Amino acid sequence: MKSLPLGASKAPIKFRMPTAENLIPIRLDIEIDGQRYKDAFTWNPNDPDSEVVSFAKRTVKDLKLPPTFMTQIAQSIQTQLAEFRSYEGQDMHIKEKIVPIKIDLRVNNTVIRDQFLWDVSNFETDPEEFARTLCEDLNIEDPEVGPAIAVAIREQLYEVATQSVSSARETRVGKKGRRGIENVTNSKTGNSALDLLKLFGNKGSVIRKRKEWYLYEPIVDILSNEEVGALDAREELNARLKKKLDEKEDSFQTRYSHG
Amino acid sequence: MMPSSEGDIGRDLYSIPGSSSWFRWDEIHETERRALPEFFDGSAASRNHRVYKEYRDFIINKFREDPSRRLTFTEVRKSLIGDVGTLHKVFLFLERWGLINFGVSGGRPSPPEEVGPQVEVEEPGAGVQLVPASAKLPSGRLPVAANDPGAGENGFRLPPLSSYSDVYGDWAPGKGPVCAVCGDQCASGRHERPMEGGFVVCLKCSENKNGTEEKSAGDNSVHADGNANHASDAWTDAETLLLLEAVLKHGDDWDLIAQHVRTKNRLDCIERLIQLPFGDHMLSTFSDKYGARNSGNQATNSRAIQHASGKLTQVSKTDGHVQNDIKKKVAEESTPVHPSKRRCIPSIANATDSLMRQVALLSTVAGPHVAAAAAEAAVTALCNENPCAEKVFIIVDDEARRKLKSFPTNNEPKSDVKVEDQDVEMHKQTDTPELLPERNFDATAFQIKAAIATALGAAAAHAKQLADQEQREMEHLMASIIEAQMRKIQYKIKHFKELEFIMEKEYILIQKLKESLLDKWVEVIQQTFQARIPRWKDHAFPKSLLNNGS
Repeated sequence: MKSLPLGASKAPIKFRMPTAENLIPIRLDIEIDGQRYKDAFTWNPNDPDSEVVSFAKRTVKDLKLPPTFMTQIAQSIQTQLAEFRSYEGQDMHIKEKIVPIKIDLRVNNTVIRDQFLWDVSNFETDPEEFARTLCEDLNIEDPEVGPAIAVAIREQLYEVATQSVSSARETRVGKKGRRGIENVTNSKTGNSALDLLKLFGNKGSVIRKRKEWYLYEPIVDILSNEEVGALDAREELNARLKKKLDEKEDSFQTRYSHG
Repeated sequence: MMPSSEGDIGRDLYSIPGSSSWFRWDEIHETERRALPEFFDGSAASRNHRVYKEYRDFIINKFREDPSRRLTFTEVRKSLIGDVGTLHKVFLFLERWGLINFGVSGGRPSPPEEVGPQVEVEEPGAGVQLVPASAKLPSGRLPVAANDPGAGENGFRLPPLSSYSDVYGDWAPGKGPVCAVCGDQCASGRHERPMEGGFVVCLKCSENKNGTEEKSAGDNSVHADGNANHASDAWTDAETLLLLEAVLKHGDDWDLIAQHVRTKNRLDCIERLIQLPFGDHMLSTFSDKYGARNSGNQATNSRAIQHASGKLTQVSKTDGHVQNDIKKKVAEESTPVHPSKRRCIPSIANATDSLMRQVALLSTVAGPHVAAAAAEAAVTALCNENPCAEKVFIIVDDEARRKLKSFPTNNEPKSDVKVEDQDVEMHKQTDTPELLPERNFDATAFQIKAAIATALGAAAAHAKQLADQEQREMEHLMASIIEAQMRKIQYKIKHFKELEFIMEKEYILIQKLKESLLDKWVEVIQQTFQARIPRWKDHAFPKSLLNNGS
């Protein structure tokens, strides 16, 4: 019966998703000729790469997208897979860390916002099961919501996992000055880890204060079709604007960096 | 056991399956350790005993805030700090063992098949509204609403004081359904199954069985304030009286009965009889398969009860002489009924009968003195317990005493003591209604209590007698067994004696034979000696003769 001091890291293990099943989240957002395809799902990295192509083909066929999408989809998936693979051989130092996971999604007509704690060191967690329970408890009828939540959870877990990989750590340290945001996130998760002592030690209590309950409660909204349409339109607008802005910035940088 | 006071819900009753009886609030059981090892193996700082216990206690308490509702995981996880995966495991564990969401409908994983008999974990408290008198009394004899499908309550409620006119005033077949209890038209919807006797009860009073008791008391009374709102085809008291007489006289013959009650036709009579509280009983009496003997007996009973009711009806409005009349009636009934005590037994305790009837029945069985003693004891105990009761009983006391003098209460001391014990015990369990607004209501309550106590006492006395008898029989049987054994042994002894005697005789014979043999031998030797045969060696000299000294 080994008892670990608080915050100690376990023996490093090879990089993987800190969940029961090593499935990685894939997010697709492709726009060609005014047609947009957005999707998010989990992928098993152990599948052969040929699967990617066949998946892309199938998707295009099922959703009746123009065939140009196929290559784009396949490419996107492969890029993300490659990123995952780049971490794969390295060691992961998972400390006992309980991080807050935030959900803020709109899936068809359902908007869901939620926040909860997740133990990154617990390798037996199952985001799909959690999402399923959540949807059942909240009587969400749309069957697409559950998987969307699961993917969102996985994405955040993936983030945490990559941060704990040794090489990433080193690079992070180097870039500390530039990436202010990352610091903030780092300290946020650091906060949770610190809380462990207070909460789970002898003097604390794991019962949350009542006034804070609302923060950790899921909020579900069902939108009407008009609202959905409006939101979609707005999102598209934003995306386009952002793209334009990015392009401008890049060109600006290049202009002045070369100048 | 925590005493439960009026209106205080106190500690509630939760059920969990029998297989989960290991659960204790202040412990962590082996089952829990095995199912959720990650809390107890020190693998993480965020999981330890205290943490587990807090999670568990919180979840269970949350569920028990509203046990009729299904508790969802999402509700609890917002209030608990910790990994949701682990929390979910704890939640599922508790749900699987039925410590939460037990018996709640919902399409969720069903509890394991070993759900044994339900176990009540918490102390039984007033999960039920305790209402005056007899909520805790053995309900076998009391008119607890057996017909009430929606009974959330165990006790029976005393009716708001309903006078004769309230109850019987509108008791006309022509009018709409009138609640037999509160006297209002059943606007709020009728109880689906009319209670025995064909009463219709409005939903509000649907648990109320006790109304019948009031009715039988006031049934045939000639009340000063008559019934103002009698419909044209309503039954007057005189008619009812005639009807009852006719029924007793003619039994099943409705034509004759209708003749007797001149103003009503056959159907009306039948209907009316059914509506009467004991009408059913009378009807069943006559079609009883035990035949005339029993029915005769029961008719006697009914007549006696009738008589008693008649007596009861002479009572003043406050029913103050209930006690009094029990005793009178009991005395009157005792003689004709006593010899047929055994036969009385089949007629006992239809639990939905009115209270007074049951008291009457029990008193007849137990004997007059016992019942009187029981009644006395009940009244005394009640008085001791509650000073207000005294006020009530003082009214009746004098009269009762006067009448009681006519039958000496030679209490079989044992049964009396026993009765008192029973009463005292019972009274400890009942709660006296302190809050009742009306004095009359109080009076009735106490008297009813006293009546119940009497019933109990009478039953107890009878039971004791039966028990004594059984004891005696057992002893008798034992004695006869022992006697039989003794006789067997004695026969054996005799037999052995005879054998011995025979043996002795034979022994003597043998001795004689031996001697005669010896003599003969001597003779033979003498003869040979005299015949000058040379002596020969006595090879064949029998050794036995040698050894035998004499």
